Amino acid sequence: MTIETPMPGEALAGAGLKEPLGINWIGLGTMVRREVSRMMRVPIQAFVAPWISALLFIFIFGFVVGSRITQIGGHRYLEFVLPGIIMLNVVNAAFLQSSSAIYFSRFIRFIEEILVAPLSYAEMIAGSLSVVVLRASVTGVGILVLGIAFGASHIESFPLFLFWMVAVSGVFGLLGIIVGLWSKSFEQLNMPVVFFLTPLSMVGGVFNTVEMLPPWLRWLAWGNPFFYFINGIRGAMIGFDETPPGLGIGLTLLLLVALSLTVWRLYAKGYGLRE
Amino acid sequence: MPVPALKISNLRKVYRRGTVAVDDLSLTLPEGEFFGFLGPNGAGKSTTIHCITGIAEPTEGKIEIFGLDAVKDYREARRLVGLCPQEFNVDPFANPRQIVDWMGGYFGMPAHARKERIDMLMERFELVPHQKKQFRELSGGLKRRVVLARALVHDPRLIILDEPTAGVDVELRRVLWRYLTEINKDGKTILLTSHYLEEVERLCRQIAIVANGKIAREGTKDEIAGKPGGLEQAYLVATGAEADHVAGE
Repeated sequence: MTIETPMPGEALAGAGLKEPLGINWIGLGTMVRREVSRMMRVPIQAFVAPWISALLFIFIFGFVVGSRITQIGGHRYLEFVLPGIIMLNVVNAAFLQSSSAIYFSRFIRFIEEILVAPLSYAEMIAGSLSVVVLRASVTGVGILVLGIAFGASHIESFPLFLFWMVAVSGVFGLLGIIVGLWSKSFEQLNMPVVFFLTPLSMVGGVFNTVEMLPPWLRWLAWGNPFFYFINGIRGAMIGFDETPPGLGIGLTLLLLVALSLTVWRLYAKGYGLRE
Repeated sequence: MPVPALKISNLRKVYRRGTVAVDDLSLTLPEGEFFGFLGPNGAGKSTTIHCITGIAEPTEGKIEIFGLDAVKDYREARRLVGLCPQEFNVDPFANPRQIVDWMGGYFGMPAHARKERIDMLMERFELVPHQKKQFRELSGGLKRRVVLARALVHDPRLIILDEPTAGVDVELRRVLWRYLTEINKDGKTILLTSHYLEEVERLCRQIAIVANGKIAREGTKDEIAGKPGGLEQAYLVATGAEADHVAGE
């Protein structure tokens, strides 16, 4: 067996490797391939469970309860709740994907494979987020298809629908990374879901408008980021929007930037990653 | 003067809780060297290796790999290093082929280059019949082979082996020795840590003994092991274990 010993830099060039824009594209693609492979080991957990849960929501709230509720803003109740159901599942899929991927790789220590590789922090984060967006989008589109099959919905603005799916999965993907880096046990990993994500998403306007709340409780909606996400995707799907134009998009982009910087800083410090 | 494969200058690593794992450690490995890095558990060997490879961040000091700063030029520097760690830091549900393939991908190897290299490594380490099994189903020896193949997939010039034969049977140990000797003859630089002194004596030309985070003794194999008592005696003296050892007897 012959083994070549190239000089520094030749190893890359000699193997015909190119890095357009200085990005390790193959490394980035490998991170995505690897995570997709991990995700596909548990397809029921990743996709079938949220689809069944959404189907039950559509059935109960759309048909059983919805048939007794008058229209909201000119829309049937099923059409009103479907965007919220999609958003609930997008949030869950994004958060669970990134938090469990990071935590599991730290727990088993195969995160060291990434740490010893020629990957920048930005590439590591982008690799994780790509899979987050993929999983959340497949989950969301699957629920949309179920809704359409039940004659529930249409999309008024596809670019805006796409924006909300990608931006919100990005936000919760980044939050999931932070929690995955912070957690020292499976118990800690689940805490944010139990104490924050589920309660805030349930009171974030999935089932009701702000107007339906008593005036003294409306601050709960205005101060809840989930309200803007759900309201945003609802606006993109059925054109029903309760906030001033651009407010939700602005807040979401701001959150995305702030979380990206936080995660980048944590990676640069090696928080939860390097010894 | 040729650029050394590895140059560590005044490395110091203090963990968050204040433990000083490595203290002012300096080391130079010329290219093509087979270097034995010895020391008791907790002496700082693995921490030094982690600092070289990017798993740990040095607190102070400088590490150069073929003249490239391991922190500032980490991208280029890491391409030249392959690490076979002491512990199995592997996704237990992945199969050997995936594990090695992913590592090649992280290092930017295109698919055709990876395939060629993985085929060779699977054959070389007799992993072909096991390449589609989950890692967790493999025996300890087979797991060790997978981790070694993973370290070599991108054809690194500096290979760091942290106790590669721990828990491995005699047969595999000999296979590994043969392979390491062969790649070293082909020009690869190897840094080996091991608790098997006969292994170090058989393979390495240069030896450093580390104790309490510092280099306690360094020299050629003949200089260190050539005196009465051999490498074991030199090791016990350098690590300060001689007195206890004698008292125990």
